[in-house]
Amino acid sequence: MLEQPAPTPDRLPALVPGRRLPDLRLPDHTGSERALSELVAGDPVVLQTFRGWWCPKEQAFFRRLVALQDEMEVAYARIVSLSVDPPAVSAAFRAGLGARWTFLCDPDRRALARLGLRETTDTVHNPYVPAVATVLPDLTMTRSWNGYWFWGRPTLEELRQELRAMTRAIRPDWEAPVP
Amino acid sequence: MSWCWIAFVEDRPAGADAAASTTTGDGRRVGTLAVWLRRAKPVRSARRMDLRLADPAGAAATLSLVLPPAGMRLPFDDVALQHARRRVLAETPFDGVSTLLADASHFAGALTVARGEAQVARLPDEPFARLFAARVLHLGEGVLGSVAPPAGPTIERYGSAQPWPWDRFPA
Repeated sequence: MLEQPAPTPDRLPALVPGRRLPDLRLPDHTGSERALSELVAGDPVVLQTFRGWWCPKEQAFFRRLVALQDEMEVAYARIVSLSVDPPAVSAAFRAGLGARWTFLCDPDRRALARLGLRETTDTVHNPYVPAVATVLPDLTMTRSWNGYWFWGRPTLEELRQELRAMTRAIRPDWEAPVP
Repeated sequence: MSWCWIAFVEDRPAGADAAASTTTGDGRRVGTLAVWLRRAKPVRSARRMDLRLADPAGAAATLSLVLPPAGMRLPFDDVALQHARRRVLAETPFDGVSTLLADASHFAGALTVARGEAQVARLPDEPFARLFAARVLHLGEGVLGSVAPPAGPTIERYGSAQPWPWDRFPA
């Protein structure tokens, strides 16, 4: 089974590996309400919370994720991004980035309060603290990264390694069938 | 089951689970679009479609129906077809979309469902219509519904027999 890292100062209390996320229901970038479980379906997922379109650190990290999506699109894995930006803003940001995954929108900050992920140092935007969690189909988190400081965010290689471990754990045919 | 059968036929076939007439933009009737929710192939021209798109309570819609020309057998993994799927994920979604399959290897068409003025206006430029000529048709109520857009970024099928964007392996 997957290694279950213990909570450390690098991990946010809301995103402790081994815990299960609530099945959030939020509008996506098109304004349609989506359940997190519906977006995850049966695949390993990279769940990212971000401050908003305006943050240069987020723009830089998104370029990293956009580079990864060319592998994700053939690897039966998913990305979900979540912020307080409303659907119209998220749709424009997503299009500008060239992202082809779902952006969830929490302008009312209902899910933010439920998750306990408000970045308290930004009293202007009251955004999500930047973070990444890898999530199994049952919404259990396997790893998380606190991205408040940019270098706390996962490298693509860390995400690849975790997605490999998750896929190995959930795909019963991971061992290739041989004669 | 992740798929159903769909076919264009002359008249409403006995045994179809849903069917409605189709017309062109100038009101000319061009046949009946029928859906069957069963495993056995109902008619020779039937193709597999994402089951979620079938809806006997669905509202009338405008369709873009893309079918490869006779004799053209484009592999489902062709790079042009991969890119069409990427564009579906990237662009503003329609009410529903499904690729159509006649076997496990080849692209047998695509169906895009539009409702509302803005979607219908974009329909001639939907991504699969950039591959082959599309027919834009009006479909009566009671056949096709609305499906939430694919989560992305997956462009692969979940098994070669499954139409895209069906989004999960069997449990």
